[in-house]
Amino acid sequence: MAPTPEEHSNKDAFILRVRKALGRTEPIVHMPDHPSLKSNAVRQQEKVRTVIARNEARRSQTLDRLAKTAAAASWNVRRAGDAEEAASIVAEIAQQSGVKNLVRSAEDVFKRVNIDATLRSVGVSPAILASGRTRSRGALRDMAFRADMGVTGVSYAIAETASCAVTPRRGVARLASLAPSSLVLLIEPEQVLESLDDFFAITRLNRMQARGRTVNYFNFISGPSRTADIEQTLTIGVHGPGEVHMVILG
Amino acid sequence: MAEVKSADFKHAAGRALRDEKLQHALDHVMEHFVGARANVIEADFGDESWEAMRTRAAAIKQSTLEHLDYYLDMVDKSVRRNGGHVYFADDAAQANAIVLDIAKRNGVKTVIKSKSMVSEEMGVNHVLEREGIEPVETDLGEYIIQLAGETPFHIIAPAMHKTRQEVSSLFQEWLKTAPTQDIKRLCVYARDALREKFAAADMGISGANFIVAETGTVCLVTNEGNGRMTTSAPRIHVVLAGMEKIVPAIEDLALFLRLLPRSATGQRITSYNTFVGGPRSPSDEDGPEEFHLVFVDNGRLNLLRDEVMREALRCIRCGACLNHCPVYQKVGGHAYGWVYSGPIGAVVTPPMTNMKVARELPYASTLCGKCKDVCPVKIDIPRLLLHLRHKVAEGTAGERSATWMERLFVGQWHGAMRSRRALEGKANLGRLLTRSFARGGKVRRLPFAPMVSGWTASRDFPAPAQKSFARLWREELSHESGSANGTEQR
Repeated sequence: MAPTPEEHSNKDAFILRVRKALGRTEPIVHMPDHPSLKSNAVRQQEKVRTVIARNEARRSQTLDRLAKTAAAASWNVRRAGDAEEAASIVAEIAQQSGVKNLVRSAEDVFKRVNIDATLRSVGVSPAILASGRTRSRGALRDMAFRADMGVTGVSYAIAETASCAVTPRRGVARLASLAPSSLVLLIEPEQVLESLDDFFAITRLNRMQARGRTVNYFNFISGPSRTADIEQTLTIGVHGPGEVHMVILG
Repeated sequence: MAEVKSADFKHAAGRALRDEKLQHALDHVMEHFVGARANVIEADFGDESWEAMRTRAAAIKQSTLEHLDYYLDMVDKSVRRNGGHVYFADDAAQANAIVLDIAKRNGVKTVIKSKSMVSEEMGVNHVLEREGIEPVETDLGEYIIQLAGETPFHIIAPAMHKTRQEVSSLFQEWLKTAPTQDIKRLCVYARDALREKFAAADMGISGANFIVAETGTVCLVTNEGNGRMTTSAPRIHVVLAGMEKIVPAIEDLALFLRLLPRSATGQRITSYNTFVGGPRSPSDEDGPEEFHLVFVDNGRLNLLRDEVMREALRCIRCGACLNHCPVYQKVGGHAYGWVYSGPIGAVVTPPMTNMKVARELPYASTLCGKCKDVCPVKIDIPRLLLHLRHKVAEGTAGERSATWMERLFVGQWHGAMRSRRALEGKANLGRLLTRSFARGGKVRRLPFAPMVSGWTASRDFPAPAQKSFARLWREELSHESGSANGTEQR
């Protein structure tokens, strides 16, 4: 077996060989001409300002479009007039699914949508999936694996593809939206964007402004967990939730 | 490195053609993929915008390749800024050693794997097993073929050749589950078995669909959720990636995430996209504490070096060229003998592995051009196959690829075409010989087996005329020149 290269020990030689294969001898000093790479923070900010203004102007159409693309992608879509209605929809879904162990994350949306009370009124006691000080990595995982429903908020929802961008962080465990067999996502109107382009433009700006505190992880959830690996037969719910609900406020 | 069995292409293809069950599976799947792709593109974009998107994607990928040294450095810096580690492996052995080293340093006993074609190239599972570490594939299709001890049949549907009965008996043998014909039930068996592995694993290995240079973000495209599980449950995450996976900017992902799922499965988007650029932050609730990105060359430099072949590295591994290929549709994936199959497999296998062993593959194509038409990054596969055929025919230094008969024939041809006298002399000899086998104006059988007898095995060859045109011209026709009805002479 070849000796193990330490991290980076082979970097210079590797890159040199690539350069040689490309027929060059000198490294590239100036950034190659690539439009989406060149835009600096100021220009990116301008771009995002336009994106946000457009999305605000077309909000109600975009919400309708999201509801439509989501239904086509096998989401169960419910629209709520206000926070109270949203909370009772969540309780209704939990009751219909016969949920026993429900976990939720701890985002700001739950300060507005008080699902804990409505859930308790139908006999379900929600637990917050967060490691806190006492719970170990294994305990959090076991709790997530035991749960049969997860409820979380989103960072953004993209109408083009019915994708919910979920960004794990303090109070938002990765497993909350992954391990339970059914999932409910709460979406607020100002989180809805028209397109993938809008989302990545904003993500790029956020990153430019983060100054060292980078977000290393996020997901798009765009429908139920699915596979067609056996006889090309579509089957729902392999490793992730097979039942997915979108509750849109507005 | 995974064994290269491409030399056996013709026999393996023959076996596949005689396998009725396989032919049935192939018909079914191909119909499904081809139809779904066409429908979603028509519904969402139409031909013209789709074409414009392909053009843009091809340009971005090509430009990234032309500046690959620059972008590799950029990814390295971005990932390190995120708190991750980056390695550069020349070949499969080196990449395996890196993975093994990380595993041993951390006392890893179980590794869960999300789908990675590079890991298939490396044969990393065998390496881990030899060291007493258990690798578990978690993509359902990959899990099935791992239990069966096989290699992927299709780049995005690795177990499409397995029936539900076969899967049921595999699970019965390995998971001790009850036999069933219910596919949903089979999925539940796999889910339960793999949940235990997710909980037990110390390390997750994934591939990468795209790596964003400016942010160091690895993008994974999955449907089952195993990619998310692999990047969430274990303590260590290792990404294995071909060095061609880079796109420069995060905003480029919008384009590529539109092209890939539609080209691959005909989906508007897959159920999950995971974006990961480093370890969890200390305040996160869960996620890996270590993040390692391993760039792998393993023969890709041979493609990069050749200006004609370079564009093959634009490939985003969607599998559309497989689904639309009349050859793949009949012979399936295993005949190609290595990790990548279909048209793109025929293109990359010879330069990445061994030109001599894989010399049959560039001929495994009718050059119909469908692969080129459906490629989301516009790789001109027929042109690359012709380029490889040229190379095979020329032979590489120190070895001749042509047979002695081909060389004899081409040598004689070369001599004959150099002078009129030589050409006529050889033509006369050939005419005399051939006429001696003619009966009633037809040559029914040429006996010089096996050199030319194939020509007459299933058809008759008209006997050559007694006199060549050149001789006729000299003796008779030239006297008629200038006469208006000269051709009546005969």
